[in-house]
Amino acid sequence: SLSLSPKKKGGSPTPEPSARGRTKEMSSAAQQLPRTESRTLSGHEGAVLAVRFNHDGKYCLSCGKDRTVRLWNPHTGAHVKTYKSHGREVRDVNASSDNAKLVSCGGDKQIFYWDVASGKVIRKFRGHNSEVNSVKFNEHNTVVLSAGYDRSVRAFDCRSQSSDPIQTIDTFQDSVMSVNVTNTEIIAGSVDGTVRTFDIRMGRETVDNLGHPVNCISLSNDRNCLLANCLDSTVRLLDKNSGEMLQEYKGHICKSFKMDCCLTNDDAFVIGGSEDGFVFFWELVDAPIVATFRAHSSVVLFPCHQRHLSPNKDLHVDVICRWDHSCLDLKIEIADVCYPY
Amino acid sequence: MASHDDDQDLVVYGTPIEREEDISARKRRAVADAGQLRALPAWKQEVRDEEGRRRFHGAFTGGFSAGFYNTAGSKEGWTPQTFTSSRKSRAEHKKQSIYNFLDEEDIKDMGGNALETSQQYDTFGFTAAEHARKQASKEQNERPSAIPGPVPDELVVPATTSIGVKLLMKMGWHQGRTIKDAHADSLYESRREARKAFLALSGVSNDEDQDQIASQKSRVDENVAESFNKISASGNTPVYVLHPKEDLHGLGFDPFKHAPEFKDRKRSHKSVNRDRNRSDVSVRGSLLISNSGQYAPGFGIGALEELGVEDEDIYASGFNYEQTEVDIEPSKTSGDSKFKLEDKKRGFFLSFKIASNSEYKLERFHPPEIPADFDGRHKFSSPIQTADKFSDLAPPEVPPPEDTTLRLLIEGCAAMVARCGKHIEDFYKEKSKASPQFLFLDGGDGCSYYTRKLWEHQQKFIDRQRPGAVKSKPSSDKLTAENRGTILGEKPLDRSSKSSSSFVSAKEAVQLQSNLGDTFVKPISLDGVPESKKPFRNEPAKQARFEQFLKEKYQGGLRIASLAPTITMSDADRARERLDFEAAADAIEKGKEYKAIDPLSILGLPGLNEQRFVSSTQLESSAVLQDERPMYPQREEFEWRPSPILCKRFDIVDPFMGKVNLSDSTLLGV
Repeated sequence: SLSLSPKKKGGSPTPEPSARGRTKEMSSAAQQLPRTESRTLSGHEGAVLAVRFNHDGKYCLSCGKDRTVRLWNPHTGAHVKTYKSHGREVRDVNASSDNAKLVSCGGDKQIFYWDVASGKVIRKFRGHNSEVNSVKFNEHNTVVLSAGYDRSVRAFDCRSQSSDPIQTIDTFQDSVMSVNVTNTEIIAGSVDGTVRTFDIRMGRETVDNLGHPVNCISLSNDRNCLLANCLDSTVRLLDKNSGEMLQEYKGHICKSFKMDCCLTNDDAFVIGGSEDGFVFFWELVDAPIVATFRAHSSVVLFPCHQRHLSPNKDLHVDVICRWDHSCLDLKIEIADVCYPY
Repeated sequence: MASHDDDQDLVVYGTPIEREEDISARKRRAVADAGQLRALPAWKQEVRDEEGRRRFHGAFTGGFSAGFYNTAGSKEGWTPQTFTSSRKSRAEHKKQSIYNFLDEEDIKDMGGNALETSQQYDTFGFTAAEHARKQASKEQNERPSAIPGPVPDELVVPATTSIGVKLLMKMGWHQGRTIKDAHADSLYESRREARKAFLALSGVSNDEDQDQIASQKSRVDENVAESFNKISASGNTPVYVLHPKEDLHGLGFDPFKHAPEFKDRKRSHKSVNRDRNRSDVSVRGSLLISNSGQYAPGFGIGALEELGVEDEDIYASGFNYEQTEVDIEPSKTSGDSKFKLEDKKRGFFLSFKIASNSEYKLERFHPPEIPADFDGRHKFSSPIQTADKFSDLAPPEVPPPEDTTLRLLIEGCAAMVARCGKHIEDFYKEKSKASPQFLFLDGGDGCSYYTRKLWEHQQKFIDRQRPGAVKSKPSSDKLTAENRGTILGEKPLDRSSKSSSSFVSAKEAVQLQSNLGDTFVKPISLDGVPESKKPFRNEPAKQARFEQFLKEKYQGGLRIASLAPTITMSDADRARERLDFEAAADAIEKGKEYKAIDPLSILGLPGLNEQRFVSSTQLESSAVLQDERPMYPQREEFEWRPSPILCKRFDIVDPFMGKVNLSDSTLLGV
């Protein structure tokens, strides 16, 4: 097994032996990046389309083409629970910060709002006219935001009993692939090449046109930067406030699949997947490829990963997921996936 | 119930309310079933009345069971009631009463009462008549009848009077009288006036007052007379028959139906007979015009047609008011006239009367006083100096003074004076009496140079004006704001590139340039290929290709298949280059538009012309460059309205705070 240095999101002190000076000890920090496969979580009966950690990193959720959502403990490898109710494949899943609720979306145009413990669907949010690509909870777990193939981002209210959206954003020109939420903003990336930030406090929509279809966006941990994975095999780092492009990361292949990308917890490295089965690590500032490793030996169509860190744990795991056409017993190894569109 | 426990002070009275939970489900269902209609869906429910007939049939929700079990028949079947086929039994005359037409429901609504007026409200005495008749018939049945057989009731009907009539008769009214109260009033009023007059008379000894009293008395007399008149007028109730029938033909027969021309003649005869004092009998048009009846003018009919309903004048009033007003009592024509005279005097019918003294004077205003020495011609403040200039001999050419500052001063001063006139010179002279520099004005150093310069400037001024003046006559209508501005030497405002003033001909441009030549250092050369057309200056080969492209695009002529330059390029490259060329061509077009205005806009500072051209080229080149470089990421900002509930859920104050979203189509009901 792999033991890595714990990395935290600022907070209680833990000995961090090597990740102190970024510039000087970069190589050693790079050594700390996960490189080897630690565990395989198998159980899904079809392609796994997304994997996410929960808020504290103790559990991870996966969803896939077998229309189920599964809850795992990645540290022990145990399969905790299966949630079955979707009619079509499940494309994304997100857990609330109190671990009490789940939200999942998929090809059946509905967003399922689950109760984690009982496994029952509390409500189904209707409103999208087509497949839903991504869902997120907001910080207070009161609003569910979803991005869909019907070019819209919709916000649903968890507190009320209604299943209709409380707000619809339909200024996008093409399918919206991913959505992210902060305290005051909704950020969404779409195939039309734009990353749109909807600032609720200012009442403003900021459109950053990147020129290439954006299939995934993620935020840096200090909330200043946006990472956008584009379909021209480039991961772009944008400054959120000014909109200028800070850095481009190339070397991987991302031409047709939705692939996730993210930053390490200290914002030192950018992690991205590739269609050839590799996981790429780039240094944030200068964009050299720091490390790659082969995630799967078999044909991997779209690995991508997402990471989430547990502030308390010592372990630091990357979750990547793979989709293998031929096999039936598909394995999740690590999370997030893309699906062809 | 007595409370046994000491700690419990509760005493329960009455029956407790049945709670929902207590009632079993079965009971509830039973209750619901009783009102069965509720349980079934609407489309299953059937409405029936007591007799079991289906109600509310058909498409409408309201409704009634029409006819006899929804048919048009009757209990007797389809045969009509009145017809009986046998010879012996004649049809009974069935009197129809209102009950034939009423439903049971309607009768129920009425309260089961027959429709009758009560004695109290019996205005016309119908009910009383009915009642009397019934009474009479009852009595008649009881009486041993002298006349055998039933006596028709209509023959013996006791007189019935309504209650109103009875009351009035008790009050002193009799049939034929008006009910108007004025008669009593007027008497009372007149008596009151007389009393007042007498009182006044007793305490006054003046002549004036006597006159007053006399007038009062006369007024009183008048009042009394009037009231008597009124009384006599109210002696009989007027009979308002507008057109009493004086002919012998039947009702509804119109003898002039086919001869409308004679209708009005007959009528005018009648009206003349009736209203002799009316001179304004106006029949529409003359008698000869077939405008009789109420047929609109302008409608003619053919020989074979007759005037009908459709030819009537729709704008005519139904009545001929002028012929049917007032005169109902032909007997009191004299009274009429008296009335009218008095009315005119007292303005009875009008609320206005002629004033005794008119204080309104037509106010007249006199025209303004013109001074004696007024001459209707404009006097200019400064005389036109053009004539002088011609006669003046040119002052001799003088070399400029050595001192450059002085020279500049002289030249500037000369320019100013030439522009603004003599008074500036005087002004300067005044101001600078002390200063040694300005001595040239008065004849110091450089005076001759100054005069020469001044003359030169003035010449130019004239020259500038003169072609303008010459031009102004034939093309005075073309003296647009721009031309005026150029004459005055103004710098025009910056134009947008969409100006349509590309019609400035080269000739005009050149003329303007020459006129303003002294203000500007260099004339502009409008040469062939301007700088702006060379975006690919750095690559001559590409530039050559670009020019070829432009030629092909904008100019006509034979297209030579130029093979040599294109061999080396691949298809994709060629396509890309073509796109670049297109973009550059667009940019040039825009620049050209901009440039076309330039001749007029050279009224700016000298040297800026060059600058302008340079800058536009730069723009174009940078634009071209930009095309090649990716323009991303581009940032745009728009207004976005978060819904208030979204803000609430995010714990954020709504930035729009409930302001109405004008662009929201749902609010407009669209």
